[in-house]
Amino acid sequence: MPRIQGVDIPPNKPTHISLRYLKGIGPTTSLELCEKVGLDPQRRASELTDDDVAKLAVVIDRDYLVEGALRRFDGANIARLKEIKSYRGDRHRKNLPVRGQRSKTNARTRKGPRKTVAGKKGVKDK
Amino acid sequence: MGRSMKKGPYVDQRLEAKVAKNGNKEAIKTWARDCTCIPDFIGMTFLVHNGRSFIKVYVTEDMIGHKLGEFSLTRTFKGHSGGKAKAPAGK
Repeated sequence: MPRIQGVDIPPNKPTHISLRYLKGIGPTTSLELCEKVGLDPQRRASELTDDDVAKLAVVIDRDYLVEGALRRFDGANIARLKEIKSYRGDRHRKNLPVRGQRSKTNARTRKGPRKTVAGKKGVKDK
Repeated sequence: MGRSMKKGPYVDQRLEAKVAKNGNKEAIKTWARDCTCIPDFIGMTFLVHNGRSFIKVYVTEDMIGHKLGEFSLTRTFKGHSGGKAKAPAGK
C-alpha cells in the first residue's frame, strides 16, 4: 500500500483515481501529476514502485498545496476575513452561506440539521 | 465571477482624487461602496454609506482588494422573536 504525504493510503484503484484521495488533488491535478512523473495513470496504485512514490512525493511537495498545508491556508484566509470584519467573515462566523445564497429556506449545508422552533407555524405566518 | 485583469481593480475616480488630496487623518464620507481598496487607502478612514448612515471603516493592509461596501453592512438583524436573543456578534 503506497503512502504519500504521511497518512494517505490510496488502495487498489488506477493511479490517477488513487491520487485523488489526497486533499487538494482532484481529477485535473491528478492526471497532471501522472504526466509530470511519467506514470501510466491507468496502472493500479498497488503496482507503484517505491521509486515512483518517492518521485510523486517530491513533485507534490514542490508544486502543490495539499492536506495540512492546504487546510491551514484555507483557515488563514477565513481568519483574515473575520479579522477585517468583512461581510464574508461575518457569514463565516455565523455559519451561514457566504456567497449570497438565500437563507430563508434551504442553506442546510451551512446551517446543519433543522432546529424546530416552538410556536412557529407554516409559511403563511411568515 | 471576477473582473477582467486587463481593466485592473475598479476604483471610484472621485474618491481616489479625494484620497490623494486629503493629507491623511480626516475621514472621507463616501457612497462608493463598490470601490476597491487599493494600497493608497491604507491608514485612511472612510465613512461608508450603508443606505441609512455612514459606517466608519479604517482600511488596513489586509483589506486590499476588498470593496468598501463589504465593511459597511446594510442589514440590521435583531434576532428572532421568542428565543433568548443572542446578541449579534460585532456590527
